Amino acid sequence: MRLSVAGIIFGALAGHLTAAAHTGAGATDQGQAAATAVVTAAEHAALAQQPAPAEQPASAEHPVPAGHSAPPEPPGFWTGPVNDPVPATIKGGKIIHAGALAALLKAKDVVLIDVSNAPRRPENLPASTTWLPLPHQAIPGAIWIPGAGLGEPPPPLDRYFRERLAKVTGNDMARPLVVYCHERCWLSWNGAKRAIQYGYRNVYWFPDGIEGWRKAKLPVTVTEPEATP
Amino acid sequence: MGLNKPTLLAVMLTGCALLTGGHPVFADEEADQDRAARWKQLQESLFPHRQVLDSGGIITVDAPPRALDAALVPVELHMTGKTAVKGVYLVIDDNPAPMAAHFVFGPTADPRDLKLRVRVNAYTNIHAIAETQDGQLHAATQFVKAAGGCSAPAGPDDTAALADMGRMKLRLMGDFNAGKPMQAQLMIRHPNFNGMQMNQVTRYFTPARFIRTIDATYDGAQVFHLDADISLSTDPVITFGFVPRAKGQMKVVAQDSNNATFAHSFDVPGTPPG
Repeated sequence: MRLSVAGIIFGALAGHLTAAAHTGAGATDQGQAAATAVVTAAEHAALAQQPAPAEQPASAEHPVPAGHSAPPEPPGFWTGPVNDPVPATIKGGKIIHAGALAALLKAKDVVLIDVSNAPRRPENLPASTTWLPLPHQAIPGAIWIPGAGLGEPPPPLDRYFRERLAKVTGNDMARPLVVYCHERCWLSWNGAKRAIQYGYRNVYWFPDGIEGWRKAKLPVTVTEPEATP
Repeated sequence: MGLNKPTLLAVMLTGCALLTGGHPVFADEEADQDRAARWKQLQESLFPHRQVLDSGGIITVDAPPRALDAALVPVELHMTGKTAVKGVYLVIDDNPAPMAAHFVFGPTADPRDLKLRVRVNAYTNIHAIAETQDGQLHAATQFVKAAGGCSAPAGPDDTAALADMGRMKLRLMGDFNAGKPMQAQLMIRHPNFNGMQMNQVTRYFTPARFIRTIDATYDGAQVFHLDADISLSTDPVITFGFVPRAKGQMKVVAQDSNNATFAHSFDVPGTPPG
């Protein structure tokens, strides 16, 4: 599974070099070449079959099942049960689904954030208890920041998330950010909303989560969480 | 893509992986492979150097395929009586502490039917493993869909949940006939905090506090000994069988992870004290 990450890196790198060689241009042009270099001909074809992520309506791939109406967006962060029906919208951000997300990840320099909770061994659990959480499956390239989607994260964690995003985007508020966790899980909605509040202008929320990603037969990798405060 | 190097540090502050899962929901071959790999891993760590055989008609496990409440999933274990069983293990594959319960039967037990309620953290297989008198392990399995059991709060108020901790009831089911097997339902008031539940007011995790052992004896003879863990539901309910040779007393002693001991005796037959 880690190979697929490497594949993306090398694919991007190879595309970059090819484009740079083709243009044979100076430093000013190279930036532009790099911006499109990651899209190979095959990927262009794949992208062409996908609606542009930004324009895709919330219900395109996953209409709300009958009898399970999506709740309205809360005014602030959601502090209720985490595993509960989620809204069909997010103000200031865009909804994306698996196929479009795969295309977006290939086409653009996207920051992908997994805000799933992490297993937490209770401190006073007896040493004799077998503690064996499942390995965490993630979309290749995702940064796993547990807690970033809590309704009310402790201030140090909020600060960590803000600074982590600033670092990975290079303070580029227009950089596309995608936030996800699991299907029917509010953590990703909160996480995306938090990024929007920080001022990011291209925030995507992937409400179908790792389950939706896997249903679309897209590759996953086992990952470890960031050491959040 | 944001290609960072994932840090290999243990996790912090967040809730339980189970709850929101860390658990992919699979319906495909890959999922089946993942489940098989998980079960292999669990066999190696829970039953090292032992072979776990198929059920062999010795044990079956029943649980609702789609549980309404992940924090209260009823599980029934049935031992067919084909082979004498000395104990039974209940494993919830995808829970982070997968070993939910281990019953050892005493001479007064009727080990054919057991019921209990557990927390299930994901879409998971449940394995019930009978241990025969000659030490063989036989496993039956059932798939359950439920999510969120491990981190669902026990109730609105931790203090209230602790207030009448240790109260017990024993409900006898069916008629008493000396020498004939009968069923009893044991209920114990205990929050069984698993350490992953966040207090809705303070936003802190309530420390784990759960029942570790239950011993039931009938007129001094063991009915069962149970080693339990954080997967038992709040206010554990256990239905078990026993064979009373005569009118007598069922004594139940439970000990929790804070070393608090709760003991009650119940007349059989008779109206159990509230």
